[in-house]
Amino acid sequence: MNLEISLILESIPKMLTGIGVTLQLLVLASLLGLGLGVILLLMRISGRRYLSFPAFIYAYFFRGTPILVQIFVIYHGLPQFDIVRESVFWILLREPFGCATLALTLNSAAYVSEILRGGYLGVERGFHEAGMALGLKKHHRFLYVTMPIAIRLAIPAYSNEFISMLKATSLASTITLLDMTGVARTIVAQTFAPYEIFISTAVIYLVMTTIFQRGFGIFEKLMSRHVKQ
Amino acid sequence: MADLSGWWDDYFWGAVTVLRVFGVSVILTVVFGLIGASAKLSKNRIARKIAGAYTVAFRGTPELLVLLIFYYGSAVFLTSVSKIFFPETQFVDIPPFWSGSIAIGMIVGSYATETFRGAFLGVDPGHVEAARALGISNVQTFFYVRIPQMWRLALPGFGNHMLSLMKDTALISLIGLEEILFVADMATAVTLKPFTMYMVVALIYLSITTIITLTVLILEKYANRHLESAR
Repeated sequence: MNLEISLILESIPKMLTGIGVTLQLLVLASLLGLGLGVILLLMRISGRRYLSFPAFIYAYFFRGTPILVQIFVIYHGLPQFDIVRESVFWILLREPFGCATLALTLNSAAYVSEILRGGYLGVERGFHEAGMALGLKKHHRFLYVTMPIAIRLAIPAYSNEFISMLKATSLASTITLLDMTGVARTIVAQTFAPYEIFISTAVIYLVMTTIFQRGFGIFEKLMSRHVKQ
Repeated sequence: MADLSGWWDDYFWGAVTVLRVFGVSVILTVVFGLIGASAKLSKNRIARKIAGAYTVAFRGTPELLVLLIFYYGSAVFLTSVSKIFFPETQFVDIPPFWSGSIAIGMIVGSYATETFRGAFLGVDPGHVEAARALGISNVQTFFYVRIPQMWRLALPGFGNHMLSLMKDTALISLIGLEEILFVADMATAVTLKPFTMYMVVALIYLSITTIITLTVLILEKYANRHLESAR
């Protein structure tokens, strides 16, 4: 068994065509997931049973089931209902890209809401009380006192979540989407050279995760620059 | 519910397969995690480098890709090896159950390496020194002094790893293991009720992860019973 370097060099440009889909999925799903995650967080910490309970159930369901199953339920499962097929969302849901984005968004929102809640609970009560003593309104306290600290506390966990999202985008290849893994799988099906192709794809992913990790590290340093000396 | 009649037994055996994969991979996770953590904490530079490369590689690549490399890679390798001895062979592979369990065990093991490393560092060095002063061998110190104290510290992180391990088992259906996702696929082809069928899979996973979460909570309580204040 010998590794064919020429095959790797030939396939890398092909694999890089998939990087666009991977990044689109990642950016769309993480932005939408962040938005939905903040809404879920607000529901969760609202202190009202009828808001916090659904948010809890949502997070419980999406964190307790595999992303692959969620993708399958949305991609294969939803068309079972006529309502879905007749609704305006069908334009999005009939495309694998829309389904993958939706599944990753819903999944990421559940994790993001828990991460932000962790940050929120980590904020010292004293800051909150100081804000109250200064006569800040409730939503001002939340926006200008609690949230900036909570976000800083949540960055390390969020960077992990972002990287697992990047890895989860590879699951989109199971619903016929040609992201990087999807392209790699097609090439392997043609050449049957799994070592060369899959390992070079893995290296591309590795480079991407390293870049994102470094980026978040710099961002965290920036956010906590007042803490150090 | 009516759609599901006739499929219960398939789902049941699929769930059994999932649990078997889980059992094998948990053991492998612990083994790889302990080896990785010991290597990372060892004085040997090469061991530290290898363990570092292991965690970076397995934590940075998608689980699906690792699984595909393990399954198709081993198949290509074994086929080419067996062709040397038996020229008429067509295709040899490690069964999906084993290649999948090993791949998942190694992936989650790379996460467990970090957790275990942190937990080993949390063991009071005085205890290890005391063991050395008593003339206890390194191996015995590892099993009787370090491990009993570190597992308590590692438990919360390890519980999370077990949850992600459970969820990763779903991927093995992609390389052809007949577990619940595979059953749902078949059932869909017959009944044309994909949502119901995949939702059952989701609920099975949800109940298993719930059981794992509760078990870890009980274990944590058991591990920390000496810290509870006397009443």
